[in-house]
Amino acid sequence: MSGAESTAAVAIDAGDLPMGGGLLALLRPALQLLEPGGVLAVNSLRDGLQDDLSVWCKVQRHEYLGHDPATGADASTTTRHLLRRGNLSIAQGHRETDMRLASQDGRLSAEQVLSAVPMPQDADATSGFAPRGAQVEPGGPRYPFDLVNRDHVAPPEVARLYDQAVESQWDANRDIAWDQLPSHDPDLERALDQVFTFLAENELSALYVPSQFVARIHPAYAEVAMFLSTQMADEARHIDVFLKRARSGGGGLGVSSATTSQSLLTLLELTDFTEAAFLLSVLGEGTFLDLLRFIEDHAPDEVTADIVRRARNDETRHVHFGQVHVRHALAHDTSLYQRLENAVRRRATAMAGAGGVPDALQDGLTILAAGSTSPPAVARGHDAFRELLDEMHRNRTKRLEHAGFTSEQAQTLSELHTPNFM
Amino acid sequence: MAADETILLGAVAYDPKVVAIWEGIRDYFNDSGAPFDFVLFSNYERQVTALLAGHVDIAWNTPLAHVRVQHHTQGKSLSLGMRDSDQDFHSRLIVRTDSGIQGPGDLAGKTLAVGSRDSTQARILPLHFLKQAGADLDEVTLLPFDTDVGKHGDTGTSEIDVLEALRNGDAQAGTIGDLIWVLEQTAGHIDTGLIQSVWTSPGFDHCMFDALPDLDAAKIERFTMALFAMTWDNPAHRRLLELEGLKEWMPPREEGYESLRAAVEDQSYPI
Ligand SMILES: [Fe+2]
Ligand SMILES: [Fe+2]
Repeated sequence: MSGAESTAAVAIDAGDLPMGGGLLALLRPALQLLEPGGVLAVNSLRDGLQDDLSVWCKVQRHEYLGHDPATGADASTTTRHLLRRGNLSIAQGHRETDMRLASQDGRLSAEQVLSAVPMPQDADATSGFAPRGAQVEPGGPRYPFDLVNRDHVAPPEVARLYDQAVESQWDANRDIAWDQLPSHDPDLERALDQVFTFLAENELSALYVPSQFVARIHPAYAEVAMFLSTQMADEARHIDVFLKRARSGGGGLGVSSATTSQSLLTLLELTDFTEAAFLLSVLGEGTFLDLLRFIEDHAPDEVTADIVRRARNDETRHVHFGQVHVRHALAHDTSLYQRLENAVRRRATAMAGAGGVPDALQDGLTILAAGSTSPPAVARGHDAFRELLDEMHRNRTKRLEHAGFTSEQAQTLSELHTPNFM
Repeated sequence: MAADETILLGAVAYDPKVVAIWEGIRDYFNDSGAPFDFVLFSNYERQVTALLAGHVDIAWNTPLAHVRVQHHTQGKSLSLGMRDSDQDFHSRLIVRTDSGIQGPGDLAGKTLAVGSRDSTQARILPLHFLKQAGADLDEVTLLPFDTDVGKHGDTGTSEIDVLEALRNGDAQAGTIGDLIWVLEQTAGHIDTGLIQSVWTSPGFDHCMFDALPDLDAAKIERFTMALFAMTWDNPAHRRLLELEGLKEWMPPREEGYESLRAAVEDQSYPI
């Protein structure tokens, strides 16, 4: 007793609190701060507390070392109980202390948090949903997360892109000047409605495809899941705004083509996160940037132009994240070049025989670019559409080269890309 | 089936979780090279009879069942292991704070709530120890809660009944095990202004794995090897240990059952 007393690292004043009356709220946190083997002194006015403390220590695998006998008959005499912390259920990892995130210009960004609490190289599937930086008790169950490696999952830019995404959210209900949408010639409106039907269908796939990866990402890389959640919110808004546009001009939805359906299924069936980022974001959404620019350039009214401009701003972020994700993964795993190329070829094989750009979309884009159905205008529209395909190919090739492919590889892969654009 | 290497263990189904516990332990033992299966009994009397008849290899027994097995084998039965939480159990005398009872000597004329007649910690041993501590039990009105008889107090139901009788004033005092007392406090179920513990019994031990003296030595070896290899920090083991209410399996010890043997004899408890 006297030996242990001198080693007591921490003492708490427990007043006359009984075990069932609040004592544990003082005792447990105090023990938490001790290393295994550390001794806690509990100064108590409570009679007979030793019997409860010794049972509690037994249950919790601490060691009850004993107590100083009360001195004198005075009821207010304090008894000192000594407990030695056991070594079961010791939370793993360093306890965060002195954390004081400093705001900059009144702002506290996810990027600042990431730099204060960096992501680990590898993540442990038994830490479950414990936030990065929390101490984790051992013995928790294994979670089914299989995206557990930073180099494959989490590019360093992710927190900054998340901050940007949150700041850039807009509202398809309030922010579009719906009351200023003019009426168009029915043929032109039908062409627009077909284009927006196609866009909405592709946006649906862009919502569903990343959702399949969110639940597989280890929470140590939560910023990736958080970014994808903003991407999914963006896609939800795009679906919403495109369908609203298609139904606001006196027409209604057009046709969903079998080519589009086949192409989007090959995206939905991807199970590799980096392959999906490559095919969906770098190649698909990248190609959509050119498509949305084309629609904006030829839009017959400012409301329609505003809608696709807003969507393109969001898509630029999605493409950016896809590119940094793929570049980051390629930098750590060069075998990935071959895998990504194989993924493009597999998809091209699955799309073989599906034909070119869906007919209804071709016609819709041509009439949109023509602005009317007069034959000379349609001839110009047709040229514009052909120029769009060339532009898409050029930019896709650039994005592939930017990712690290040779210009020859980039050329081939771009040509193999789906005629559905996404 | 003399060639059957499967260890057959008996346990009492005092709670639905018992199925999960022993199915988990069965799978763990089988994966650890100790072929294993179990049967469940509805009460300890049937389980002890089955062990004595050689129908099961090992019985997971309460202290009362353990003492009974030892009695019927003239002390030759084998004790194979126990939970860490089975060692140094105590009973408590819990009283209403308005009863004026300070200890065993103040019980005369009062109503004492007690647990099931086959509960070691809530009935047999506290009455034994209270008598030793000077309580005149002839002057005490017993309020017994004979719930889950045959389960030897495993369910804890009768101890919860004792606490409820104290809360609603049906009794001024009651006896329960200290584990329930601390767990109920830890769970925030006790109004410490209304009831408190005023006396703690001497220590005694709880459950034990019992086997007949002629059990195959290889089975014993495989059983104890696998049992003591379970660790709290292994998630698969931890789930089972938590369910069974322990953190570590311990080697057996016999001195913790002396008081129960004496109590059974003193109370002429049918054994
Ligand atoms: Fe989108
Ligand atoms: Fe997108």
